[in-house]
Amino acid sequence: MTKRLVQGNEAVLLGAVKAGATFFAGYPISPSSEILAQASVYAASHPEFRFLQEEDEIASANAILGGSLAGAKSFTATSGPGFSLMQEAIGYGHKVGIPCVIVNVMRVGPGTGMPTMPGQGDLNQARYGSTGDYTSIVFYPSTVTECYEYTIHAFNAAEESRSPVILMSDAFLGHLNEVADLGPIEIPIVPRTLEPLASGSTRLFSGVATYPDGEPATADSDEFIRQYYEGRDHRLAVAEKYAFYEYGWNKDADTLVVAFGITRRIAQPLAPHFALFRPIRIWPTLDKELTEIAGRYEKIIVIEGSDGQYANVVERMLLRRVERVPLLGGRMSIEAIREGLARIGMLPAEPASSGSEFPAGSRAPAGSRSVG
Amino acid sequence: MAVKDKLKVDLFPTIWCPGCGIGLIMQQLATVMDELGLDKSNTVLVTGIGCTGRMGAYMNFESVYTLHGRTLPVAEAIKMVRPELKVIVVSGDGDTASIGGNHLLHSIRRNPDITVICNNNEIYGLTGGQAGPTTPVGTSTISSPAGAAYSPINLQGLVNTNPNSYYAKTTVYHQGPMRKAIREALEWPGFAFVDVASQCIENNGRRIGFASANDMLQHYRTEYKAAPPGSKHLEPHQLGIVKGEPVPAGGPAEPGHSNGNS
Repeated sequence: MTKRLVQGNEAVLLGAVKAGATFFAGYPISPSSEILAQASVYAASHPEFRFLQEEDEIASANAILGGSLAGAKSFTATSGPGFSLMQEAIGYGHKVGIPCVIVNVMRVGPGTGMPTMPGQGDLNQARYGSTGDYTSIVFYPSTVTECYEYTIHAFNAAEESRSPVILMSDAFLGHLNEVADLGPIEIPIVPRTLEPLASGSTRLFSGVATYPDGEPATADSDEFIRQYYEGRDHRLAVAEKYAFYEYGWNKDADTLVVAFGITRRIAQPLAPHFALFRPIRIWPTLDKELTEIAGRYEKIIVIEGSDGQYANVVERMLLRRVERVPLLGGRMSIEAIREGLARIGMLPAEPASSGSEFPAGSRAPAGSRSVG
Repeated sequence: MAVKDKLKVDLFPTIWCPGCGIGLIMQQLATVMDELGLDKSNTVLVTGIGCTGRMGAYMNFESVYTLHGRTLPVAEAIKMVRPELKVIVVSGDGDTASIGGNHLLHSIRRNPDITVICNNNEIYGLTGGQAGPTTPVGTSTISSPAGAAYSPINLQGLVNTNPNSYYAKTTVYHQGPMRKAIREALEWPGFAFVDVASQCIENNGRRIGFASANDMLQHYRTEYKAAPPGSKHLEPHQLGIVKGEPVPAGGPAEPGHSNGNS
């Protein structure tokens, strides 16, 4: 592969293929539809890659569970209300232990909302959207190249954790075209971890609480608790291997900006004035890393495309007040960030020049970016 | 091999109520599976929520006990990824036709090579006896004390919108015809649906005047009559099979048809 323009949504598909995905099921919804369309194009010339356009997102999410149990690394892509419709199946996947990847290209909600505008309001849904307790692994890249890389990591983490892993994107990032050279990127691929169906055994894959022999355990609290902690501990241990974040910008500043996904790119002109912490693994939260780094700064500002979903997480994690710059209604721009900073009295005295606001090239700007 | 080898008899007795019709379906399914050489290395069961969904746990196959209503997306995906497998869906009428209704419509349209066996007991049994999508008009249930208000869903009509599909109506009393229907459905290349009238004595039958499960079986015996051979449409309480034009396994539905009955 050589350098060429790649769209964020296209990079997700390319990453999935690289990770070994052979089954996609989905339903069209903006701003994720390019992933569906390009999966269909890819399937047309690659018979080993199966594609199914479903009747809705409920079917899409359940289909990738079935496809994965049958032996295919499976994924779907959606946005907004489509992600809501998938929550039931995501919970089932956690209960049963089915590796798969759900890509959520965020738009502005709730409801049908603003279908083509970028938002970051699905963070809580990605963590808590289904019924009951479970342990979500969620990544959120910031560049087109990272869309490719973290899609591969998402498939790997799904296999290792045996759970549905969520890759977040947004309308801005999904439709962003950047020059990228994906060819040289080498990320080891985790092979299938689950014996496919019709293995010759008689396993029962059950969303109902059951004993290992398949008998119902629907009133056995001890058995439930045993299975719950076993699953949670395993997934937390796997997540530790994927503790991705970026720490950079002006580390000598007295204020730390927390921003992720496309918002971190938009905030780039603030680089001279603030330190930056960018979680890439959104869930489970990077408590150890962020707590240690945040301790060096007098103030913390969370800039995000929701009314404080991640700020609330950070505040609770650190047990200290954080400042908030919510970017709502799709107004995700440096002007909106500056207005937000002015509202809380934290606009830097000398705004950065409006020259090169975005980093050149498609790679994340230099910083102390950790990849675990 | 023997029929008994298809069943996890060490887990018996089942959780199903005495007199339940589901065991009669499982017995015939196991018999046909034995006849056709279906075993745990070539066959997968997909079941839904409801009493019927437990069947997967009692059979010597790998099975997926899906969310309520989601058997068909799961089954279709398994078949797409592993076309060499026999994929059998076993579920109830509420799971299949109500909460799973949209999936049913579209699976029928896409004509996957899977078989659906529907335990049609005309009630939500597991949750205590609420009216369901196949409950006859006027039936008193715990959610329709004045009688079910709406006409039951037309499963035959839905399935036959696909001109390449297979639809059979039978009852648990008519074991021979049920066995034949299950066998033909499993051999059918494309979407096949076996609609089995089945009794729920505990959470339906007794409330509507039946004294016992046997009374319900006798009711099926006297009420259901075989449809004339070659019937293109089954009347209510007719036993029979309505077949479309078979297409090669996994092939698309015949183009140019919008209605199999036309």
